[in-house]
Formats: sequence, C-alpha cells, structure tokens
Amino acid sequence: MSVAEFDFLLDGEPRKISVETREGTLFVREGGRVLEAEVKRISANELQFRFGGRSVRAYLARAGERTYVAVDGREYVVSESRPETGRHGEGDEKNLETNLRVRSPMPGKVTKVAVAEGEEVRKNQTLVIVEAMKMENEIKTTIDGVVKKIHVTVGDRVDSERPLVEVVKKSNPPRRAEP
Amino acid sequence: MFGKIMIANRGEIAVRVIKACREMGIGSVAVYSEADAASLHVRLADEAVPVGPPPAAESYLDMERILEAARATGAEAIHPGYGFLSENAAFARLCEDRGIVFIGPNSRALELVGDKVRARQTMEKAGIPTVPGMTSVSTSLDEIRAAARALGYPVIVKASAGGGGKGMRIVSDEDGLVPALEAGRREAKSAFGDDSVYLEKFIEEPRHVEFQVLADDRGHTVHLFERECSIQRRHQKIVEETPSPALDPELRARMGETAVRAMRAAGYNNAGTVEFLLDRDRRFYFLEVNARLQVEHPVTELTTGVDLVRQQILIASGTGLTLRQENLLQRGHAVECRIYAEDPKMNFLPSAGRIVLLREPKGPGIRFDSGIYEGVEVPVYYDPILAKLIVWAEDREAACRRMSAALDDCVILGIHTTAGFLKDVVNHPEFRAGRATTSFIGKFFSSWGMGEGEDDRQRLALAAAAFDGLTRTTRAAGLSVRGGKMEIETPWTTLGGWRAGGER
Repeated sequence: MSVAEFDFLLDGEPRKISVETREGTLFVREGGRVLEAEVKRISANELQFRFGGRSVRAYLARAGERTYVAVDGREYVVSESRPETGRHGEGDEKNLETNLRVRSPMPGKVTKVAVAEGEEVRKNQTLVIVEAMKMENEIKTTIDGVVKKIHVTVGDRVDSERPLVEVVKKSNPPRRAEP
Repeated sequence: MFGKIMIANRGEIAVRVIKACREMGIGSVAVYSEADAASLHVRLADEAVPVGPPPAAESYLDMERILEAARATGAEAIHPGYGFLSENAAFARLCEDRGIVFIGPNSRALELVGDKVRARQTMEKAGIPTVPGMTSVSTSLDEIRAAARALGYPVIVKASAGGGGKGMRIVSDEDGLVPALEAGRREAKSAFGDDSVYLEKFIEEPRHVEFQVLADDRGHTVHLFERECSIQRRHQKIVEETPSPALDPELRARMGETAVRAMRAAGYNNAGTVEFLLDRDRRFYFLEVNARLQVEHPVTELTTGVDLVRQQILIASGTGLTLRQENLLQRGHAVECRIYAEDPKMNFLPSAGRIVLLREPKGPGIRFDSGIYEGVEVPVYYDPILAKLIVWAEDREAACRRMSAALDDCVILGIHTTAGFLKDVVNHPEFRAGRATTSFIGKFFSSWGMGEGEDDRQRLALAAAAFDGLTRTTRAAGLSVRGGKMEIETPWTTLGGWRAGGER
C-alpha cells in the first residue's frame, strides 16, 4: 500500500497531508486527524466524494501552478509549497519585520496618495486609494513606521506586482518592541 | 414593434435583454469596449459594434459613440440596462432628438427623478413622506456643515446623480465630514461624471423596501409589489427577496399605492422602482426613484409571473400596458444573490482574471442570470457583478433552503467570488428569522470565518487536489480538458513535482 505525501499551500497556508488510496477509499491524514472518503472521478474537472453519509462534489481546474478547487460552493487555491508562492491577492511583503513594501492587491488606478515621503504613519493608516471595479479601495499600512518611498502618483495604473509605497519601522524605537 | 434594439450595456444585464429580444423576434445589437470583445453579450447578440477603449467613460458612457452605433446598425431603440447611461437624462433627450426610442422613462421624468434633490422636492409637494435632508446641492463647506448640524449626526453623504452605493458615505461626527465629502465627490465623479453631493439624515437600522412600478405613455400605472433589499455591503445590495418579511397586507397596499402616486407625480413612464426606507416603527420614507430596470428585477418576475424586460419593450413601442392592478398577485417567495468577483476572505477586494471552470446551478425553481462563460477573462474596469442566482419556492423557508443548496452547486473557479459568503448570509439565523436590517452585514459579518464545516471542506479540497495529482493523465495548463479519457494510473508516473512518501 503506497502513501503519498504532499506539501501544499491552501490559500497560502502551508498544509502537509498524506494520502493513501485503498480500493476507491481515500485516507487523508493531517497531523493526528484522518479523513476517510470514498472517491470517484466523474470527469476531468469533477470528483465525487462520499463522506459522512453525504455525497460531496469537488470541482477542480488547473491554471499554471495553481489548482483551483471548489467544495460545497467554496473556492480554494491549492499549490505546491514553495516559499514565494502566496495566495492570489497577497499584497504586502515584510523584510525582517522592519520594512513593508505595500502593493495593490488588485489591478486598478491610483486615485489618491494619502501620505508623503518622510511622513510618520500608524498601523492601519491609509496610504493610497486604488480604484478598481468602480469602488475605492484603501490600501493601508500594517505596521507603524515612516514612509520611505512612494512609487506612484494619482492617475497611475497599478497591478499587483509593482510596489506602491515603502514603509520602514522607525529606527531607535523609544520603547521596547511589543511581544 | 421594433425590428432591432441596441443594448447599451454589458455583462449579465445585456445578456438578459438580448434574450428577451430574441424571444420577441427582435434583432439585437451589442456594443462593447476593447476589454469586452470576447464577452458573453457580444457572442449572443445578432450584431456587435465596438465603441472604444476599456474605460467606461470612453466607451459605454460615450453618448456619441453609442448613438453612432445605433445609427450605423439601424437600431430603432436603445435599451440602456442598469448603470452606465440608463439614468442619464441628457442621453435620453439625445435619443428623442434623433428619433431613437430610449427604453426607459421620458427625459423630463428621468431628469426630475435623477436629480435626487429635485425628486425629494416633488415628492414632498405630492404629500409623500421623505427622509429629512438638504433640499439643495451645495459646494460650500460652511453650508454643508451647517446643514449637517441642523440634521444632527449621523448624516449620510450622497451623490446627487447617484445610485448603487457609489459616492455614499456615512458620517458619524463633524471630524468625518470633510474626508467623507472628498471621497463621495471623487467616487461620484468617476461613477457618474458629476461630483455634486448632498446630505441626508442617516436613519439607523432601517429596512430597504422598494416597489416595482410599470407605467405606460397614457398614464396607466401599476405596481408589482415590493422587494426587500436590506442585505447590503458598502451600500451595495447583495441579497434581495420578495415578499418582504416586514410587510403585512395593509402596509404593502399603502406603500404600493404611495409608489404609484410618486411615479404619477414625477410624470414617469416605463419601468421604475420607488425605494423606501422602513424604520423600526414601520414608518416609511421615500428615498429615491431608480429610473431603470433594477439588478434585482428577477425576484419580482418569479413571484408575479410578469416579464419586466418584455413589458419595458412593449411600453416603449407604444403598446399600452395591459396589466391591471387587481389582477396582479404575488405567489410564493423568491430570493436573489448577487455573485460578485470579490474575495470575501480578503475584505472583498475585487478579483479579476480568467474563469477556468464554470458550473451553473440548475434545478426546479432555479434561475441563473449570467454574463460569464468558461474561459472568459473578467476585466477590471467595470462593476464586479458576474451573475445573479435567483430561486423561487412556495414559501420563504423553502426558498432559503433552495438558495443555500443552489449556491453549493455554483462553481466559478479561477477568480474569487462571493458565493460562499452569500451562503452563510442566507443561512444566518437572523436572516432566516426575517429580522435583517441594513446593518445586518456590518453587525454579523464584519469578519468572515468561512463558517461551519470549514475543516472538512478544506481537507476535502486538499484531498481533491492530491487525488487529482495522483490520477491525472493530462497535464493541461490553463484551461480544463473536457471529456478526456480518464484512467487511474500509478502515482509514480504522474506525480510530477510532488514528493511521495514511504511505502507501507
């Protein structure tokens, strides 16, 4: 009986599972927990599980490195665990916890830059407003710090690759770092 | 009757109107921006005309280009759908001037009700109760500040040309006034090309109840009962239903009669909706007229059996309205969920990209009005609505259960959607009890934890991905392979980059 192990990312969260197939029954182990389900492939994009007395369909589609999975109306993105693959839409990047490179989580247009270079900012303060799909989206800092660099101006089209603003934690912190 | 109608819109509503045209034996003309060349409405229409680059202001909102497309194709009428030019009186007037029928109200009525401030004045004159607010638009901060003080906080900033929650901001104290005005003006400017805003008193925890009205050119006006639209996020309706759990026959009759009176006062014709706020003491206030077909019109169609788009076209063609108030009835219960391209796990950020897999829910009492297909790229330029799921059943409880099951069967992969979130909304005890007000989402869904059974769902998702990896015979990147021969192979030939563990 063979067991396959998978290092997955589920919506960006690392998940390590092992899977054993025995005559159409799947044993999925994660940590101490075991999920047992009958599984049948219906089509290239559709699996049927019988699980806990219920029939559950799972739908899958692959696009590049990602496998999109829908279970009971919820979508998940599953990918191989690699340090830089993140959940679609992940915007921020922290270096050594002191620098924050803020990106737009979606493509859109900059309608307001709410801070200036050198300005002190507090956690959750709005840095930039990006309009996408006719709604304004406030892009905020997740750390207290100082705006080191602003990469965009009003009217710029941005995608999720290009950094908008860089924030650095203030040097010589007057008080001890929070636990 | 018209021989050809142009639809000056995109997405699911353009598809809806194209289907009505086809049923009525009328030719359909789609218009599309460069971003929509491969969109569903373009594929379904008899003819399709490009009208410019992706930004709406240079395509769907460009009146001259739209009118030129109508002229070039010989369309006799334009259906504006909702949003875009649908409530633009200048556009309706241009159509009238050029002898093209605008499928909507006459330009005078449109101008009147489209100006929220003048509409209020008209309604007050007709003795219809309105929410206290500024009676004129002002650009002077001092005046606006004084008005806010007189109304008493909280107040709400609204776009004068508004609708759809765009440009709206609730202000709880004077400190918040300036930023709210700024944001409201910016959003109003970009959504409607007009940055005038005004203030209204913010009524706390109201219900949002609206009445569908149809009126022909001869003044014959009927209402098709209410829609309850209290479930809103950022002032965007997300779940609608009819009948409203908050109305009894007496209140329903009174509000319906008021809605008809309001539309007569405005000199309104064609389809329109009168929106009311209903407060905790069952007092109702006129809010605004939505001078167009509403996103949520299907719930009315399913409970009254009236095809509203067909009625719009009949009225516009000069055929009188043959429906009589005493013959109109509500039967059963209908619920609609709007499925948006937004990520509920990431604070509803818009999600754009390719739809790699689509399975539409089907079954008794299930309707799926969609603007998408498998393989389409969802553009970032427009409203994020992808589709609407509408269900009908004998009563409210049965309709909610049907909706919940249908949402399970709604599979849209490749982008994030609100389907899973909507299922939790529909299954929430407050909603099920019929007690939800406009503060429902803020109160119960300020953060979304993915609900009950999430552990098992996640584990099944992982199991599915693993099983797929172990048994797949094709390695198609991108789009799905359909109808391919599937054989169970040994893991060792197909595992690819995945690491296999020990033997046992």
